[in-house]
Amino acid sequence: MSDRLYKIQLPVYLTALFIILSVVEHFFPMPGVVTNFNVTMRSFVTVVSAAAFMLGIIFLTISHAKTITEQKSGWYYNLFYIAALLITIAFGLMGVRNESFLFIYDNMTAPIGAALYSLTAFYITSAAFRVFRARNWNAAILLVCGFIVLTMLIPIGAILLPPVVPIGEWLRSFPSSAGFRGMIMGTSLGVMGLAVRVLTGRQKDHLGIREERMGGE
Amino acid sequence: MDAEILGLLAGSLVSIGAYSVLIGDNPFSKITENIYMGILGGYIFVTNWDFIQKNAIGKLMNGDLVYIIALVLALMLLGRLKPKYLWVSRYPVVVTVGVGLGMAMRTTVTADFLGQIQATLLPWNSLNNIVMVIGTITAAAYFIFTAQKSGVYKYVNTAGRVFLLCAFGVAYGQTVSFRMELVIGRLVAMLDPRVAMYTYAFILIIAVALAYGYKTKKIEWYSGR
Amino acid sequence: MSITDRLLKLDQRIIYALMFIALAFPILNPVVLPMAIQGYSQDAFDFSDSIPEGSIVIFEGGLGAATYPQGGPGMVVQIYHMLTKGVKCVFFSIGTEQNFWTMTAIETALKKLPAGTPAVNGVDWVHLGYIAGGEAGVGSLVNDIRATIEADYFDTPIDDIPLLEGINDATGFDAVLWWGGSEGSMPYGIRQISVPFGIPITGMCTTNEVPNFSPYISAGQLQGLFGGVRGSAEYEFLLKLPGPALGQAMATNFGGLLWMAMVLLGNILYFVQRMKGES
Repeated sequence: MSDRLYKIQLPVYLTALFIILSVVEHFFPMPGVVTNFNVTMRSFVTVVSAAAFMLGIIFLTISHAKTITEQKSGWYYNLFYIAALLITIAFGLMGVRNESFLFIYDNMTAPIGAALYSLTAFYITSAAFRVFRARNWNAAILLVCGFIVLTMLIPIGAILLPPVVPIGEWLRSFPSSAGFRGMIMGTSLGVMGLAVRVLTGRQKDHLGIREERMGGE
Repeated sequence: MDAEILGLLAGSLVSIGAYSVLIGDNPFSKITENIYMGILGGYIFVTNWDFIQKNAIGKLMNGDLVYIIALVLALMLLGRLKPKYLWVSRYPVVVTVGVGLGMAMRTTVTADFLGQIQATLLPWNSLNNIVMVIGTITAAAYFIFTAQKSGVYKYVNTAGRVFLLCAFGVAYGQTVSFRMELVIGRLVAMLDPRVAMYTYAFILIIAVALAYGYKTKKIEWYSGR
Repeated sequence: MSITDRLLKLDQRIIYALMFIALAFPILNPVVLPMAIQGYSQDAFDFSDSIPEGSIVIFEGGLGAATYPQGGPGMVVQIYHMLTKGVKCVFFSIGTEQNFWTMTAIETALKKLPAGTPAVNGVDWVHLGYIAGGEAGVGSLVNDIRATIEADYFDTPIDDIPLLEGINDATGFDAVLWWGGSEGSMPYGIRQISVPFGIPITGMCTTNEVPNFSPYISAGQLQGLFGGVRGSAEYEFLLKLPGPALGQAMATNFGGLLWMAMVLLGNILYFVQRMKGES
């Protein structure tokens, strides 16, 4: 029972406390001690978030190291990961503004990242050819709106079909904007609902209880 | 050769490696992906370490003892490495989730929810305003109330779906343009007149190497669709 | 197998190759066509232009490796615009990579400035560097700068930066310029800075995110928006400061036409097949 107190109950209460203090401070004048506490906690969040990123890299490296030690298929590719990671960290630890560190990032990772991110341009074209069909009215609305807006965005579109510019801007500023406004209102209700669920202890996913159980099995 | 040209060349070579995945998984693309993850991992690791060093250890060194707690919380995250100690990591997670959700919630109410409702309360004196009001209400209704689809609500539902489809269509058109801009951004660097010839040479070398690999069956041929 | 069937089962790598050619061709053979200024871009420019001399703006740089080529030229123009107007800029980034690109944009803009423009680090601009924590990090920074960070990008202690003398929260800023790229972080700026502190905000996002943020524009919460490379090119044009964005915006022509041609062809083949009763 005492186990449950510090492993689950206390974290639930603390989450609720932090939510309440943050929200209350925003709407009502609070004594200095509460404001200072919130300021400190917010700066702690930045430190913990930075540490979480580092932990993510540790996890990723462990997974690569496992593939290498267990000699799973294609394990030798993972050696490139480990080598690249160690070299970058070595240069980075000399200083985050170290020239070699920034050179590696700027000329190796940045182009690969940009290339990988841009692959979707090819996939989106191929997929559009194969499956983007006006099978019914719903699909036709989607297709026509997409067509008009793309024509508006490419400079030659406005020359070939001048009316697409005002029509495209109108579509984006009114019907589409109204649709997205509905979604923003829906998601903001979702955020509030989630906060209330976490506050009342009904939502405990952030505690990782399921992962703990799975790991224990 | 100056550093800028060397950088462009390296960038061009690794980009071709990354783009080669379009033909199908191959050794060049796999090597490139792993190098990418390794360098980016190292970059993220070091930059975040620098942040902690500057803004937690630095403050501690300047006499702000409360940052011992921040560092202890950061260390407690390591509990994630072993399921037995996972509960230890709950405390730093609780701080981030509690404070983060609190901060998001308090301003979401005013900025997103009330702000957007206020902006929808428009006079019905123009087509644009009518479209805005009807579109927002029906789209929000379609988004929030998913169960009841009979009676008058059926029409509300249909109208909401039309507005949402229009929104997705517009977003799709914009996305297609965005994706092309991403490729153009990379191609501009690869086809820079100072390195364009090298880029063509790299493409040729990688193409020949892949063709040899496929021909000799050293690389598995991806059949495509 | 019929011709329509064969065409519909076209190897996707042929489509990839066609797309490559369509996007590379205008880069190798640039042609500049007239381009209309979008309403959102004009609004963002008018707002930026109306920021009075001597104001201090908080500037988030959220462009990454992939999005810098499209948003970077516009961000450079925005920095140039502000500094030449005598507006002081306080930069920060909420991503590690973005931090690097923000510094790149600052350096590029500084090189372009006309001789004699005041642009002293710490006096006319300051880069606070990377702030971890996402939206909570932004909230932390704008509510108490000194509690969040100890030093700027160059490790200069915050208390030694003349520009930040007497400024410890967002009340010290007159406008927010949020160059969020594809971070999707524009609402952070609206929620954590603009609405609570009553500071007007504008900025840039990638083309795909423009519709997501359009409700904030019509609600008056966002003073216009530069979208993607087109937005950058329009900013270059409006400020009469030619840069690389215009050429890139023109390069979307053939790719866009190819995409539309592929969709049309796909649909025609689909209807032909349906009429024949094949599908």
